[in-house]
Amino acid sequence: MRGRIQGLQPAMTGPCRAAYDGAVPSPTSGGSRTAAPSAAGSSARSIGAPVSISGVSKWFPTGRSFLHALDEIDIEIEPGEFVSLIGPSGCGKSTLLRVVGGLLPYELGTVTVDGNSPAQARDTKQIGFAPQTPSLLGWRTVRRNVTLLAEVNRRGAIHPPLSESEILELLETVGLGDFLDRLPKELSGGMQQRVSLVRCFALGAPVLLMDEPFSALDEITRNEMRYLLLDLWERTGHTVVFVTHSIPEAVILSDRVLVMATKPGRVVHAETITLPRPRSVQMEDDERYLVHMRNVRRSLGEVSAR
Amino acid sequence: MTTEATQQSAPGTGTKQPPPQRPQHVRRSAMTVAPIVGLVVVFAIWELYVRVFNVSPLTLPTPWSILVHLREEPGFYWRHAQVTLLEAAWGYGLALGASLIVATFMAHSRFVERSSMPVIVLLQSTPVAVLAPVFLIWFGFGYWPKVLVAAVFCYIPFTINEFTGLRSVDPNAYELLRSVSASRTEIFWKLRFPQSLPYLFSAGRLCVGLALVGAVIGEMFGGSTEGLGNTARVGQVRLLIDQLWGSIFVLAFIGVIGNLLLAAVETRVLRWHSSQDLPGGSAAAL
Repeated sequence: MRGRIQGLQPAMTGPCRAAYDGAVPSPTSGGSRTAAPSAAGSSARSIGAPVSISGVSKWFPTGRSFLHALDEIDIEIEPGEFVSLIGPSGCGKSTLLRVVGGLLPYELGTVTVDGNSPAQARDTKQIGFAPQTPSLLGWRTVRRNVTLLAEVNRRGAIHPPLSESEILELLETVGLGDFLDRLPKELSGGMQQRVSLVRCFALGAPVLLMDEPFSALDEITRNEMRYLLLDLWERTGHTVVFVTHSIPEAVILSDRVLVMATKPGRVVHAETITLPRPRSVQMEDDERYLVHMRNVRRSLGEVSAR
Repeated sequence: MTTEATQQSAPGTGTKQPPPQRPQHVRRSAMTVAPIVGLVVVFAIWELYVRVFNVSPLTLPTPWSILVHLREEPGFYWRHAQVTLLEAAWGYGLALGASLIVATFMAHSRFVERSSMPVIVLLQSTPVAVLAPVFLIWFGFGYWPKVLVAAVFCYIPFTINEFTGLRSVDPNAYELLRSVSASRTEIFWKLRFPQSLPYLFSAGRLCVGLALVGAVIGEMFGGSTEGLGNTARVGQVRLLIDQLWGSIFVLAFIGVIGNLLLAAVETRVLRWHSSQDLPGGSAAAL
């Protein structure tokens, strides 16, 4: 795996290259490419950016009244950290993700992505988004779907997207090297989701928001996909906010799992995952994995019982 | 995408073999020949009916006699077909262009949508053939009244379908493009327009026939001396039954060719769409 990362290096330039080499970029190069924290267990190759959510509340109008969707959410996410949001349906996980992504307005509090407001982060393409369904454009081949996000709003981007050779390498990594010119309808559901993941990484954004990207997949493919995501993330070290309903998925992927409660949506428990990185399927037998699973499950049980 | 053949055990052998299937080229040939078989059967029944029941040629000539008549006067029909074809093509193109502009504005603005809808419903509810005399009064006996009638016939299906297509975007793909602040123009060209193409082609096939109907009605009402609408009208008035049926045959032929051409383009442009998964693509749906 390490060899593959080195294989990617020659194509990288600027702060991205510096981050991969472990050099600390100058302040003018953007704080997003700073070294990863030890919490993530990753080396200085991280290109992630910090995300700060402070006292955020949101209401949705429902006829004559309002639905209190989020209540004073406070989350600090370090650069290169992988954070999962888990909770019952309607607890505001996806809403929070969209607030961070600048796709939904919020009424109270502050959100910053690498020091910028969500709208600014969106305009400068600092956020990669992976929706619940692959949402591939049927008329574009795999290769052209992956480059879609890089093709729009070119002027706004402050981070360069991955080069063609880097994208090809990522596609080969996820087993799509022989499917570059295929249309989405010629791919299975799992393959489509892999394209969606590569598209998200190919943007070169320091922060990735993923909204239950594996929810529509069968259990076997889902299990395979979570390790594929781990592999991609451990190569690049983006900051990831990942929404899921699956406890095993949240525990094996994350540095931190935030359990949310409903009515109104709020964070009730933060589980810091102490499993070492890189992670593998063997760690599912680790005592610590089972303890984290139990803690998150209990916390979710308490939330449901309320 | 692919269906695995059910494995069956050959009796007595215990070995597994796929069920016998006809070779693919045989199935493909059968699919190509099928529409021709259908036409031949209909014409044969028609021919037999006229001959067996001794139907007067004034009431219904045999298809064979119509084909013989067409063969005798190819220049006459070719000259008039060119006129009708050109009027229909102009009307088709004008309607397509206008509908693309209007539908785009409607899809981007609720106000434009709400203000356009009453006009569209009004046009849809009005038998547009009655507009032919109006256009005649406005534009005289020339070429353009017929083009306009053809355009009016095509405009509503094109606009409604294109509007529906532009509005029916995948919300997840839309949100994905918004997440990187794609502009409206980028969202239009990268997402809305390509996604609306199946709707546009669907209207396009319908409008091939409607454009011809519009041109013919324009010619019939417009005191025209050219075009297949005129030759059919003259045939009916002067009891030139062969000419009347000859005009109908040529019009039908033009419609079929237009549809086949469009289906060929559709099969190529929409090869990504599920509608093209039928054997033979769009042509199979004709």
